Amino acid sequence: MEAADIALALTALACLMLRSAGVWLAGGLGSDHPVIAWATAIAQATLAAFVMLAIIAPTGALADVPLAARLFGLGVGVAVCLAFGRNLLPALLVGLVAMLALRAVMKF
Amino acid sequence: MGSVTSSRSAALFGARDAVGAAGVAMAATFLAFGAAVREAGLPPGWALVACWAIYGMPGQLVLVQAASTGFVGGIAPAVMGAIAVNARFLPMAIAITPLFGVHERKRLIPAIPFIAVTPWAAAMRAFPEIAASVRLSWFLGFGLTSWVVAGLAALAGFYVAGMLDDHARAALLFVNPLYYALLLAADVNKPAPRRAILCGAAAAGLTFILPASMGLLAAGIIGGTAAFLWGRKRGSR
Repeated sequence: MEAADIALALTALACLMLRSAGVWLAGGLGSDHPVIAWATAIAQATLAAFVMLAIIAPTGALADVPLAARLFGLGVGVAVCLAFGRNLLPALLVGLVAMLALRAVMKF
Repeated sequence: MGSVTSSRSAALFGARDAVGAAGVAMAATFLAFGAAVREAGLPPGWALVACWAIYGMPGQLVLVQAASTGFVGGIAPAVMGAIAVNARFLPMAIAITPLFGVHERKRLIPAIPFIAVTPWAAAMRAFPEIAASVRLSWFLGFGLTSWVVAGLAALAGFYVAGMLDDHARAALLFVNPLYYALLLAADVNKPAPRRAILCGAAAAGLTFILPASMGLLAAGIIGGTAAFLWGRKRGSR
């Protein structure tokens, strides 16, 4: 078995255990239990931190896109989302186009 | 959606929801992942198994990065790093479980592999509009469809890797955080998510002073706990 296969198997097993542990731990709790509210806040905060990092300080190919273009795409996407009934798909496409457009403009 | 009471209809609604904005974001991200797998010298089967068995992009990327260097630091640090960046599965599973309205934990076993950011965030948004009795069916429809989209996109990315330049890859990689940002923005009018978003974004700075594999987890725990305590102090959720 290759190293990559072993690493994949171990990680997959651990992820399955994390998910199963969460379901088992919460199984006896009501949706209004403070632990559920706490876990929800942690999950949402993690997602917000992930977005913040991916936009402000990304790694890989996205790091080559100017910060201004990333912020512009994000701002336009969010504005469209909030302005048009929180419809995600148009907001996603408009935000992406906005990012690409500003990046193209900044290259000239 | 509140009028949907049959499991079959709910599953179909879930599948339909999964091919909208979520499907676009998922496809873009996993397309880029497939290309990265090929560049790391790993086979397409590995990409597919990683998508379906891990189903958490940050952890998948940690492994690909380690594989591209031949696991010079060893397997254990790579695995620990991948687990740490995917540790959010635990609070996500805790948060979503009561919302299924299922008393027997065994009935939730089919849903466990699908507990990941995209299905979780979509479910948290959609569940208030879905009758509790069919939420599990909706989630299975959404999760299974997302899984298929992710796997096919990763395979497609593997085979078109040479055709994706840095510009195309950057565009693909931008779609994922933008989609998550939109999901969060859609909830910003609710006090509890708004507090979590603000605190999580503020805590993101911790990732600059902590080891990369632990930074996101720490930001989530500290930001989320601060948001939770803030809410308790205000006497509302």
